[in-house]
Amino acid sequence: METNNSFLSVTELNKLIKKEVETSPYLNNIYVKGEIYNLTYHSSGHIYFSLKDDDSTISATFFRYANKGLKFKLEEGMSVITFGNITVFEKRGTYQFNVMALRLDGIGELQKRIEQLKIKLGSEGIFDSNKKKPLPFLPKRIGIVTSPTGAAVRDILKVSLRRFPNLEIIIAPAKVQGDDAAMSIVKAIEELNNPKYQIDVIIAGRGGGSFEDLFVFNEEEVVRAFANSRVPIISAVGHEIDHPLCDHAADAAASTPSAAAEIAVPVKKELLDEVDYISNKILTTLINNINKEKTRLNNIESRKIFKNPEEIINYRELLLNDLEKQMLMHINKKISSQRQRLLSIANISHLEKKIITDLKHKFQLKIQKINNLSPMSVMARGFAVVLDKNNNIIKSKKNLKLGQSLDIKFVDGKISADITKIYEDI
Amino acid sequence: MEAKKKNSAMTFEDAMDELETIALKLESGTLGLDESIKEFERGMALAKFCHEKLEEAERKIEILQKGEDGKVKSKKVAVKQETGELEEGEELQGTLL
Repeated sequence: METNNSFLSVTELNKLIKKEVETSPYLNNIYVKGEIYNLTYHSSGHIYFSLKDDDSTISATFFRYANKGLKFKLEEGMSVITFGNITVFEKRGTYQFNVMALRLDGIGELQKRIEQLKIKLGSEGIFDSNKKKPLPFLPKRIGIVTSPTGAAVRDILKVSLRRFPNLEIIIAPAKVQGDDAAMSIVKAIEELNNPKYQIDVIIAGRGGGSFEDLFVFNEEEVVRAFANSRVPIISAVGHEIDHPLCDHAADAAASTPSAAAEIAVPVKKELLDEVDYISNKILTTLINNINKEKTRLNNIESRKIFKNPEEIINYRELLLNDLEKQMLMHINKKISSQRQRLLSIANISHLEKKIITDLKHKFQLKIQKINNLSPMSVMARGFAVVLDKNNNIIKSKKNLKLGQSLDIKFVDGKISADITKIYEDI
Repeated sequence: MEAKKKNSAMTFEDAMDELETIALKLESGTLGLDESIKEFERGMALAKFCHEKLEEAERKIEILQKGEDGKVKSKKVAVKQETGELEEGEELQGTLL
């Protein structure tokens, strides 16, 4: 080696390390287990954190293109198994673990995802009880979303048709586990929501299985499809302990597909019996009421008066006779009492005379008053009337002339006089 | 005429509720005979309506399938009259995906 070649620049060294490290089969496509800390969700979508165990620490990058498939949120202290490779940052001479995939360490991973999703969807109000639609009392057409090959579809058909033989059922087949299951279920629910099918209620689910088998009913898009169903929907996922999230999002939930069919479909026979029971009750009550009225009528009819109608006439006649008698008696009594009063007035002619004298006296007084008002009586008190040649009464000196002849009328006769002077004053 | 008009928007449940009310009214014994007969007639019409509602649907089972053209079609499914089980040889398949 030449002396001038006996050293490397820092850049060259880091380049060399990078090349060595990034092509080493021991440092690529490896699994690393550790706990997350110093976690940062960057706004760019990249996630940065450190992985550590009891004794050591390594920086880790989880770029957006790699973490976009992650279905849960990382948390400080979370124990994870990561898959990826070591990358070297030449500029700083540092290295970090570049995570390509990540899962929770142990079986708690799925549970954790469900818990987180439940909180997220819950905060959106998807599980709110006031969002639940009432199930129809008498559905005419029901929709089923489940695997066409499983036991569930057969159970639902059997139970539904046993309860209500003339029922219309539309099955929208779906994959209920494995890849594409979530999309498949969402599609089927959406299809049955198409108004052209006129579905009254949907039953969606599957028979029981392992936790992983049922997992699709915890997937976000499936849960949302349940919540968004316009048609009332019953979650029918066979489960024993934990409710799948779609149970919370559905309008009703059953622990088996058969139980869901029982919730959705009424027993026709029971409804018929109830209708008949009530209409019979109405009929018998009406008959009873009519009979009661009849009895009442019979009771009235059986009274004496209705049996012998002439009695009523006889009775009235008696009454009339009685009244007549009473009336006559009353009138006679009145006449005799008036007669008695008349006889008791002894000097009736004397009384008559007195009344006439009184009346005469009053009459004369009235005449006297009238006389006092006549012109003759006024003249008798010294007044005279002046007349012109035509016998018109003169009331004013106006129009009178010197030498004019006038008549003056006294109470006992008339004289003629000439005007010799007309005074200016009164 | 008016009762019929009412019935068209009426559900089975509504009719049952009214039927019960009529039964109670008649049982109370406070109605006159004319009124009783009127209520009874309404009750009988409602009972008939309920029966009709229960018989309205016809048994029909269909499965949706996605055709070659990507359109969803429905296909009849044969089930046993008595038990509602699938007829022998009846195959259900597919998804709408």
